[in-house]
Amino acid sequence: MLLVLSILYVQQAAAQKENHKEYRDSSISDCNSCHKSEGIAPNHDSDWIRNHRTVADKSVNKCGECHDQSWCLDCHKGGGIGADFKAEGSRRNFVPSSHRSDFINIHPIKAAGNQQSCYRCHEQKQCSQCHDRFPKGNLRIKSHLGLGTNGQQYSPSSAADHATEARRNLQSCASCHPDGDVCVQCHKSGGVRPHPRNWKSDNWKDRTKGRVCLKCHIPGSF
Amino acid sequence: MVLKRVSTALSALLVLSAGAALGAEISGRSSTQLLWYNNEFTENRVFEAAEYLRVNVTKIDQAGKLSLFAYGRGAQIIGPDHDTTGRLYGLYIDYRDLADKADLRFGRQFASNAAGHALFDGLKVDLKNIGPVGLSAFGGRDVVYGLNGETGNTWNTDLGVSAYLNGFRKTDAEVSWLRKWEKSEAARDTLGASFKQYLFNMVRLYGNARYDLPSESFSESLIGTKIYPISDLVFTAEYYTSYPIFDTTSFYSVFAVDKFKEALVRADYTLSELFSVNLGYNRQWFDEGATANVYHAGVGISPIKPVRINLEYDNRTGYYGSMNGFTADVDYQINKSAQIAGGITYDVYQRDVITHEEIARRYWLGGKYKLAKNMALSGRVQNDVNARYSENVSGRLVFDYDF
Repeated sequence: MLLVLSILYVQQAAAQKENHKEYRDSSISDCNSCHKSEGIAPNHDSDWIRNHRTVADKSVNKCGECHDQSWCLDCHKGGGIGADFKAEGSRRNFVPSSHRSDFINIHPIKAAGNQQSCYRCHEQKQCSQCHDRFPKGNLRIKSHLGLGTNGQQYSPSSAADHATEARRNLQSCASCHPDGDVCVQCHKSGGVRPHPRNWKSDNWKDRTKGRVCLKCHIPGSF
Repeated sequence: MVLKRVSTALSALLVLSAGAALGAEISGRSSTQLLWYNNEFTENRVFEAAEYLRVNVTKIDQAGKLSLFAYGRGAQIIGPDHDTTGRLYGLYIDYRDLADKADLRFGRQFASNAAGHALFDGLKVDLKNIGPVGLSAFGGRDVVYGLNGETGNTWNTDLGVSAYLNGFRKTDAEVSWLRKWEKSEAARDTLGASFKQYLFNMVRLYGNARYDLPSESFSESLIGTKIYPISDLVFTAEYYTSYPIFDTTSFYSVFAVDKFKEALVRADYTLSELFSVNLGYNRQWFDEGATANVYHAGVGISPIKPVRINLEYDNRTGYYGSMNGFTADVDYQINKSAQIAGGITYDVYQRDVITHEEIARRYWLGGKYKLAKNMALSGRVQNDVNARYSENVSGRLVFDYDF
């Protein structure tokens, strides 16, 4: 097996990767036709927005041979020099087509799934920057309905719903309660333990000098 | 103020570089944009002027190894608010092939590795031609943008290190480490690995995994394959898991969370320039028994050569809500200089079980006219009709000048 792999790698090593700079103005169909003849997978297909990270998230990728960094930054950091007139906009920034129609109302459905895809462009703190600007009573959250002056305080009978929702989408809690002050009321030391089963508190103490731990625990007790 | 800072920095850099570098080639784009939209936070109509500038200066030295890149935006709201914002997306000097062993990049830049990506002010070094393994490292001040501008702390820093296979035509493999500090505290600490292997001239296997060191769990893992028996037909299958991670400085980083899993299959077929079709299915698993199904179908048709019609249908059902909608757009290339397009998006969605079905519609119309080989005027107007607005018109007018 090792011998076969070695031969395979030696053969591959004999042929260097193609430099694409001279093809940067080619059509995608021409690119893919050439790719196929070389055994390379076609790309830039209709799924490219979702799938491109598997090609781009490398320390040395080939994106720069056809695109300069503004191409990445226009989506990942909110720009718009390279987008054409068909690209959608959100205020002064351009947005990828994955943010369709009324994304402000639809985004909770999307964010319930793969939240990592949100974080590739948005900082986690950006959620609370936006949510902070809306009156909290206007938001519709299943486990919060029922009590309080604005109907947004969750009732003890919905505690199970609250736990399930929080485990599935903790970011939604952080979006409105960035400091977790309401969480501490129940999850403080001696209350409902929030940590996962294999909790390694030393990892936090090493990295943050226990600053986060002090939110619930008294010094020296953790 | 910000606008002045950005434009001054870019202009100074441009002049400095051009002046210092006899024979340097300067290229780039100036994009002047007029935007109008509704500010959702204040409910005010906003008219805004924005100026983008992207500059590439190459062949600064005789060997052509030194180059410079700059990209920024200044924007000003027109009217009583006259709010001014600016973003410097990139400003770096690139030196390639130092002793044929190293590429260096210094300044504000965007970099990635298998463990993540970052925008930072600092240095990236790629060591190459040192054998079958290449090395890469980057580090510097972390740059974070919020809704209106930079929000990061001056002393937030990033450090990324990678080792990757080099010189293998059909194989990629990389291991990386990325740490982000918030002041002196390590907010993120991630190990990453990725691989890609081409087989039999028709199969691509690929994968990526990120391991969060504080929580000692895989924050993401992906394994996938693409099968392409012909260049116009691609089958994709992927399995992905994610475990939401927060900065260790965040209170939420200490909470137990559920793992999210999804499997995806899709097919993309391009019969010719006249017809293409794609189909996809995505199954999502949330812990405690919740699931969701996402179906997708898309068709691209060119009934006559200058006309292109794209139709897409998406359907999601399951945990946390449903969505059922389509997009349709038509693109007409009138001649070499002129192009118009228009479209509609129609989504019916229901969030959770506590809300009713709502409908979101977006209608848009746009066009582009090439005034010259290096000049183009384009525009787009859209109207959103949804649960929040009976009418919400926004748009932009853009003049691009390439130099």
